[in-house]
Amino acid sequence: MISLKGRVMESLLSGDFICKTSDEMAFQFLQNSENFAELEQQLNMMNRTIANANDGEVLFCAYQVIDEGERKVVAQKFREITASLLPLVEWLVLVQEAKGDNAPLSEGKVVRLNELQSVIEDTPAFSEQLAKIAKYSLFNSTSSSVDAQLKLVFKRLTELGYLLRPNPDNQIYLATGKVDYLFEVIRFIDDSEHLNLAQQAEEAIKQGDLL
Amino acid sequence: MSHPLHVAGNKFLKALAKHADVIMKTYLSGRVNELDFDGKVLDKLINLGVLWRPEPGEDLRLRSSIRGLLENNLRDERNRQLDANMGTKLAAIKTVTSHYKEALHHQNYAEAEVYMEDLTEQVYGLVDSLKSNVRNLWRRIHNEFGYVASINAKIRENELAQSQLTEMRKQLEMFQFDELAAIAGSSRELRRLLVVHLQRSHSEISQELSIAQSKLIDLLGKFREYLHRSQLLKGFVLHQQQKPDHQIKDYSAAHNVPPLFNQAKAIIKPANIDVNNIEHEHLFADIVSRIKQIRHAHVGNNELRKAQGFDVNDIESIDIDSNIIKNAVENYFCQVIDSGVQLSALEYHQQEQLDINPEVWVYGVINGFQGLNSEEQDFFEIDTQGHVHPLFSGNFIIEDVALGLR
Repeated sequence: MISLKGRVMESLLSGDFICKTSDEMAFQFLQNSENFAELEQQLNMMNRTIANANDGEVLFCAYQVIDEGERKVVAQKFREITASLLPLVEWLVLVQEAKGDNAPLSEGKVVRLNELQSVIEDTPAFSEQLAKIAKYSLFNSTSSSVDAQLKLVFKRLTELGYLLRPNPDNQIYLATGKVDYLFEVIRFIDDSEHLNLAQQAEEAIKQGDLL
Repeated sequence: MSHPLHVAGNKFLKALAKHADVIMKTYLSGRVNELDFDGKVLDKLINLGVLWRPEPGEDLRLRSSIRGLLENNLRDERNRQLDANMGTKLAAIKTVTSHYKEALHHQNYAEAEVYMEDLTEQVYGLVDSLKSNVRNLWRRIHNEFGYVASINAKIRENELAQSQLTEMRKQLEMFQFDELAAIAGSSRELRRLLVVHLQRSHSEISQELSIAQSKLIDLLGKFREYLHRSQLLKGFVLHQQQKPDHQIKDYSAAHNVPPLFNQAKAIIKPANIDVNNIEHEHLFADIVSRIKQIRHAHVGNNELRKAQGFDVNDIESIDIDSNIIKNAVENYFCQVIDSGVQLSALEYHQQEQLDINPEVWVYGVINGFQGLNSEEQDFFEIDTQGHVHPLFSGNFIIEDVALGLR
């Protein structure tokens, strides 16, 4: 049997994002500074370190020193993230609007696929939006039915670690900390490129032509 | 309680009960639709001070005291007014205390009793209004201002609640217990009311308020975060729509990769099978037993069943082996045609010194003749030379064929 420490190690080395929702035991384990130091030491042997995002709410494995080989991997990861940014953001907006929530999805929030589906099916604008999202190469759907598109999108997002399906018998999904990581990425890009995304959105709302 | 007051109060409450329907409809919609109700009933309610007309031509509305009563009793979350006027209430308490002390001084106990009753009512009323204000705040905090929909409205509501709270704290500062203690003097009754009770309530309420304040600030932070996140998302989508060719800078190429983009490669792969491990033997056997034997490997293999393209031209160059015989046979036929003389196949074979087995050659010639179509066959005459089989009748052994023109 694998120990909790071993499991956390394995999870980190397989590139998982650990948060309270995705793996509470592992997350709590790493909150203990002794455990954290021990794992960190072992990861350092492999030029790896435990990194965090969203004020320590999400933990993942990063390189300690970045040389040529590591840079290639990092560049690859970066391309993956930026390529999937727009589809993911559009999906988040769709979910927020379809659910009528004030806040976008964040860690621990529940998405009921059936409820979402009925809203999207009843609202042509949402179904159009979904069709657009499902066609992105990230999801790569060829189906024209809302049901199939939505299921595919959710399946892919679960594979990518943005969603969690605690019970395979029903269509209830939980958002993981990776969603918050996504927000950090957008915020970072916004800050460092001075895009002023929030102002743009606010002005658009004032002009009343948003989405 | 004087008798006429009691009667009037009863009458008023009964009127309220009787017209509860009108009052509740007014409460919910904000105003009365005068066409829906009997004019007499409305007049009566106006006279009782339940309804009033703010300005001529305006609709009738509920008086604020009635509205406040309902809001308080129904715990309606739309109620966001706090009664923060402590100053006048404190002044009233101080005044009544003076009356009480004066009455006591004049040894007018009956009057003192009445003042005491009034004072108790005032103090309890003050504490109750403070407490209900706190409850009111908490109610709004608990459902996160659920009575307004947009996040901006929630932020404004939160700011309103914060300003009300600050106001309440200011009002609480007006309680000066040293002054109250001096007023109460040595009277046990007064001290109990003005010092002990008020002080305890005061500290309770202050504590509640500071918790509420921190909660409100928390909530405000949360709302701002929500708002910021929503705006980020929408801003991003908008930005991409307006500038579709905008490329995100490649931060991974920067000298110092931002920690956010520093993600290590997933290096763990599934472990391999160790067939020598006895402990795992059972598991492996189980897996092996589940392996399905597939008998018709090609059935359903569409790759193999697909139509395949082929090149017709390639086939002509295939028959290389028979070429020597075929050419020789052709030459033989040509010679017969050219000379017009009958020529035996074996003679030709000898004449041309062909490097072919004589038997194969004879077969080749027969084959060549049979291969011609019937029109061409008519030009030639083929004569078989041989002998009958010595033992088995009906069998003719061909030794040679002679070909001539007809």
